[in-house]
Amino acid sequence: MRKTFALALAVALVAVPSFAQSRTKTHVTTLASDKFEGRLTGSPGEKLAADYLISELKRIGAKPLPGMTDFRMPFTFTAGSKDGGSKLTVQHGTTVTNFDGPGNILATSFSDNGSTSGTIVFAGYGIVVPDSQGFGYDSYQGLDVKDKIVVVLRYFPEDADQKTRAILARYADLRYKAQAARQRGARGLIVVTGPRSPNAGEVVPMSFDTAIAGSGIVAASIAGRAAAPIFAAAKKELEAVQKELDSGNPHVAGFAIPEASVTITTNVIREQQTGHNVVAYLPATGRVVGVGKPWIGVGAHYDHLGKGGAGNSLADKADLNKIHHGADDNASGTATVLAIGEAFSKLQRRRNLLLAFWSGEELGLLGSNAFVTRPPVPLDEFAAYLNFDMVGRVNDNKLTVQATGTSAMWPKLLEQANVAAGFDLTLQEDPYQPTDVGSFNTASVPCLTFFTGAHQEYHKPSDTADKINYEDLDRVVEFATAIVKRLSDSVEAPQFTKVEQKTDTGGRAGLRLFTGTIPDYASDVKGLLLGGVIGGGPAEQAGLAKGDVIIEIAGQSITNIYDYTYALELLKIGQPARVVYMRGKERRETMLTPAARK
Amino acid sequence: MKRVTSVPAVFAVILVAVVSVAGQSQPQSGAPPTRTVRGGVESQERNFLNRIRRLTVDGKRAGEGYWSPDGKRLVFQSERDAANPFYQIYVLDLSTGDTRRISPGMGKTTCAFFRPNSTEIEFASTHLDPNSLKYQKDELDFRASGKERRYAWDYDASMDIFTYDEKTGAIKQLTTAKGYDAEGGYSPDGQWIAFSSMRDAYNRTLSAAERKQLELDPSYFAEVYIMKADGSGQKRLTTENGYDGGTFFTRDGRIVWRHFEENGLIANVWTMKPDGTDKKQITDFGSMSWAPYEHPSGEYFLFASNKLGFENFEVFMVDKAGLKEPVRITYSEGFDGLPVPSPDGTQLAWTSSRAGGTGAAGQIYLAQWNHEAAMAALKAAGPRVKHTK
Repeated sequence: MRKTFALALAVALVAVPSFAQSRTKTHVTTLASDKFEGRLTGSPGEKLAADYLISELKRIGAKPLPGMTDFRMPFTFTAGSKDGGSKLTVQHGTTVTNFDGPGNILATSFSDNGSTSGTIVFAGYGIVVPDSQGFGYDSYQGLDVKDKIVVVLRYFPEDADQKTRAILARYADLRYKAQAARQRGARGLIVVTGPRSPNAGEVVPMSFDTAIAGSGIVAASIAGRAAAPIFAAAKKELEAVQKELDSGNPHVAGFAIPEASVTITTNVIREQQTGHNVVAYLPATGRVVGVGKPWIGVGAHYDHLGKGGAGNSLADKADLNKIHHGADDNASGTATVLAIGEAFSKLQRRRNLLLAFWSGEELGLLGSNAFVTRPPVPLDEFAAYLNFDMVGRVNDNKLTVQATGTSAMWPKLLEQANVAAGFDLTLQEDPYQPTDVGSFNTASVPCLTFFTGAHQEYHKPSDTADKINYEDLDRVVEFATAIVKRLSDSVEAPQFTKVEQKTDTGGRAGLRLFTGTIPDYASDVKGLLLGGVIGGGPAEQAGLAKGDVIIEIAGQSITNIYDYTYALELLKIGQPARVVYMRGKERRETMLTPAARK
Repeated sequence: MKRVTSVPAVFAVILVAVVSVAGQSQPQSGAPPTRTVRGGVESQERNFLNRIRRLTVDGKRAGEGYWSPDGKRLVFQSERDAANPFYQIYVLDLSTGDTRRISPGMGKTTCAFFRPNSTEIEFASTHLDPNSLKYQKDELDFRASGKERRYAWDYDASMDIFTYDEKTGAIKQLTTAKGYDAEGGYSPDGQWIAFSSMRDAYNRTLSAAERKQLELDPSYFAEVYIMKADGSGQKRLTTENGYDGGTFFTRDGRIVWRHFEENGLIANVWTMKPDGTDKKQITDFGSMSWAPYEHPSGEYFLFASNKLGFENFEVFMVDKAGLKEPVRITYSEGFDGLPVPSPDGTQLAWTSSRAGGTGAAGQIYLAQWNHEAAMAALKAAGPRVKHTK
């Protein structure tokens, strides 16, 4: 029995290149074609892609998961939000001023819908640094905001020293500010972009937020002109108030404005849509006995960006609304999972093999999250999960395997399987990757994700099927098949190891800055390797290019992406910062002037 | 670890220190986009090496991969045992990908070599040292404390040469002298072992200056020896001051090794007859040139040198007679060394830190070797430049 077994494997491994070559190419070419319109989650293109996957799954004899009759696994999500007419009324004495319209008031995308009234408390920047940080900054110090409407400034103190800015920036995200206000009993939150900040006096555009519900508080941003009567009631100039706060001195306090009361009404219209994971399995060929954890999963997201739009397109303006084909991202991974399934449909299987095709990945790992949140198969029955996201661009024989820290046995298994596969492997232990492997790491399943690197066409319409390296994509299939085979045959399941998240990746506030750099997340280079620069952006204007390695910015040495994120928080919009970088062996310097991100 | 660590300890420290702070002064190579941008550089490496791939993945570091005579397996040293932070010896089967440890598991080991026409594998080990387990624990505790020791080979005086018989599992001790015995290589008929020993530091009375030298760097006392494959007839072949070691036999029955000058900074490739006569200097490269290994064609030696920067070792090759200037093979920052061609001459195994990250400490790489291009490049190379006074 065992012998036949090994023989079958050997035959399959030899056979894979010849038949799979055309197969992965067919899959990628089909999925990345115009007909599928970029496979945006919830779109007709997504539905067509799911139809294709299901017909392929049926062809290889895969079955719906136990207890399911369908291959589709729907999940709902917020496809977008818009303001359906929020309003603000400010009353000071007998003077009543009304504000409405998106130029004056805009709900935050995470706001509750409702109407609330109260007197005002101005809480500075509205930042609370947790005690655990040992820093001591609390905008609510000495303020009673219970049943009040809290007004705060957007961002964080503009003139504080670098260290202070770096710390405060981490707690300056609007969601975080809203949470702080809600926890202290405030009825509502109003955000004003101070006159001394970038985007002065403007409302905050509604960010893309896939949350299904609000965050438990009415929260809106208002224009400077709408804030004026509030501060006038307290006989204060907002600019002077902000200037004092901008020092970052924690003893500069906010103040109550009992003279003014406001009524704030928010109306966020969230468009609910349904996305579809496609999930199937190949049952074990014998009775599953004596093996720890009877399931193995392989998966890839099959959704992409549609015709741009959702905000994560990197296309030039002229191409923004064209079909984003997503051949590498992630028709390549989708084809890999189909091809692994096809190979295993002809092999002995000691464990059940889950074949998963996630949707909603580009919107924030929605599909895989939905799966691990309500798993059709208990997750502790999974010996391992292997993910494939952007594996079609093998360059110079290089393949990156990430999340290898999730089990101590990964390096050994990868070494064994790679002796035959022959890739120039790079291993990265970190499982906190921007792809579906993150969902499984969170669920404590030993996992890996395969990646062949970022490229110029990433998230652009030009990520097309003709640029895929099919010969090497088939080798990825072969490699992965060998790994799954070894996992499947082994009686013991890998032990999960929890990897600590290296560093706080920094507050989202750093994102107000636009540098136009595209970090290469696959790289283990010391410094920040640029996978590209955004055309016309500050980085390109500074002469930076793909392949450069940033090693210092504004006096901060950069050894990894976390350092870089951290350093960005220290930069100021419009203020040139010195950047030291390596181009090949040459050490160069330039000045980069960050722009404001709207 | 022989040919990495047979570099004087002081240098090994510098090497690792530089690699670990590479980000400050130079980007670590290994990331696809960077290498693509350095297009010219990369294509030069492709002159001789194709389809470069990482072979060892498991463990903190690995190195010194030597082929079995049939080219189907590789024996190497690797730190991959959770209970032992030091190198142990492993055999990798290139047809199945399976790896198994053949050394005792205790203590430090280095420098393994398949014995031709036999089931024996030679290696050096300290496992008979009663303090072995204590040293392992000390090192593990040290690493657990979060500190990182700068890497240095310590030329453990209890290191002796052993064989492991793959058929019987028997381990046999070949050398017993106090002082580091290691860096062994068999003759093509499997009847002789050339090796390096520091026994000269212990078998006579040292002068005060020599005692100080021993504390500072025992490798100064290393000389090349030869013995029969059963350990009998041990005989010293070199007498010059400075570290002699890294011995291998050539196809035509000579010994190739590397000789360090007294200062421990300059090394060159030499050959001699197995009786110690007819010593010939093959390189005069004005740098640390070491780890020579003959290509099976018998036409040239591959070796490592820091010619291009004190911390930047690259693989070079030089014609058999050493008449020409060496030709550069690798073009990656960090360490590239210990080149060993496959018995059929079509592949090259070597040790490299090019992966960065988990591979930064050095792992074994494989590539297809272009012998024709190598011959053409050697032919085109200029005459040897004189460096020695």
